[in-house]
Amino acid sequence: MVDNIGIVDTRNIISAVTDAYGIDMSDYTFTILKRRLIHAINTFGSHSADDFADKIRKKIITADDFLYTVSLEVTEFFRDPSLWRELRDKYIPEICRTTDSRIWMPCVTSGDELFSLAIVLNEAGLQGKTKIDALCPSQKHIDLIKKGGNYDQKKIEVSEANYTRYVGKTQFASYYTLTDNRAEMKPTLLNDVSIDVNSDILNTSIAKKYKMVVYRNKLLQFNIPLYDKVIRKLIDSLEIGGYLVIGNMETLEYSEASKKLQIVNANEKIYKKRVD
Amino acid sequence: MNDYKAIMIGGSAGSFQVVTRIIAALPANYPLPILMCLHRLKHIRSGFVEALSIKSKLPIIEPHDKEPLKAGRIYLAPANYHMYIELGNRFSLSTEDVVNHSRPSIDLSFFSASYNFKKKLVGIILSGANKDGALGLKSVTDNGGLTIVQDPKECQVPTMTQASLNATKVDYVFSTKQIIDFLLKLA
Repeated sequence: MVDNIGIVDTRNIISAVTDAYGIDMSDYTFTILKRRLIHAINTFGSHSADDFADKIRKKIITADDFLYTVSLEVTEFFRDPSLWRELRDKYIPEICRTTDSRIWMPCVTSGDELFSLAIVLNEAGLQGKTKIDALCPSQKHIDLIKKGGNYDQKKIEVSEANYTRYVGKTQFASYYTLTDNRAEMKPTLLNDVSIDVNSDILNTSIAKKYKMVVYRNKLLQFNIPLYDKVIRKLIDSLEIGGYLVIGNMETLEYSEASKKLQIVNANEKIYKKRVD
Repeated sequence: MNDYKAIMIGGSAGSFQVVTRIIAALPANYPLPILMCLHRLKHIRSGFVEALSIKSKLPIIEPHDKEPLKAGRIYLAPANYHMYIELGNRFSLSTEDVVNHSRPSIDLSFFSASYNFKKKLVGIILSGANKDGALGLKSVTDNGGLTIVQDPKECQVPTMTQASLNATKVDYVFSTKQIIDFLLKLA
């Protein structure tokens, strides 16, 4: 069991990841990346950081498996219940007044936020009227989410409480089936969702701009230079008047590009793209 | 004595009154940043800062992700995020899973702060009902920092302080008054 790694170990693994998979993690937040790498080292049964880097270089660990394991998960459905209530009651009905309403979730890992958004659309009576385009870092994420995920009892209990605070229109239990204390969300929730693999948001092409982008607690992963590039990409993907939603303790203030947005809900960190 | 760059305080059940006393005793020109990781209800985002601020002469802030650390401020780990100190003295926040049933986890905050500040960190563990913080305080010791534990005899709930004493050799076991006197001497 490896319980700590240092800067040199971390840089060595980052270098191996770049060489083997062509993925650049050099501008990721050090402490978060370090913890995720320790988790990955132990998950893959490596006895040291060097051993893990070696397995990466030799591609004994596939890029897909690496990305699946190292990705930062969200650990609750309806995290920040008041945000989801605002989306359901105000912002999503607003963006759905026109046809061809589309929402982008460019980094879906455990699926909690994607299913939460799908439930919100359902409860706003807008299923079938809005499309969600989601990106997952790995195919393994997609395969799991398309089957409804596989969530433990602890997560479901926390999520039930969140759903109650969100003031859901039914019982949270009506959205999942429980087998051996593991919950699978109903795959029909994803009828309006298309999911593709992409681990690098900067390397995505936006064919048509979005009315809303939900990217909560994902900027946490990046140091300021990469954070700034990602924010520019998020803003570029939005229509004029479209909304960006980030985590409630995230801020855009370290990016010059944030001048292109105005905050419309400070508590829930909802921003609106200004007219150029 | 004046080489310290930051003070980190961890606490849980029974620590609120102790923290309030400590905060109230610090002058408005206190020169060091104080980082507090206190267990709190994760779904209640507001109110805690306001409650702590009533008697504080220093500004109390829940740091946003990437916010730079500044002297003369008291920082409180926000609800439902782990709080780290990055090299370069900026905060980072994380939504990783709970540790010791806690988010924020005291251990995780101490790990990152002790890694960043090494021997220039003062780590303090107060009253609490689980062992979160014990390994964190050990990391302060291991990195050469100074460690203080509230006297378990004085704690409303001594589990956290006793776990810390079991996990590492601490520099001082202090009453609340002694903790305050010590912090004032650092100014």
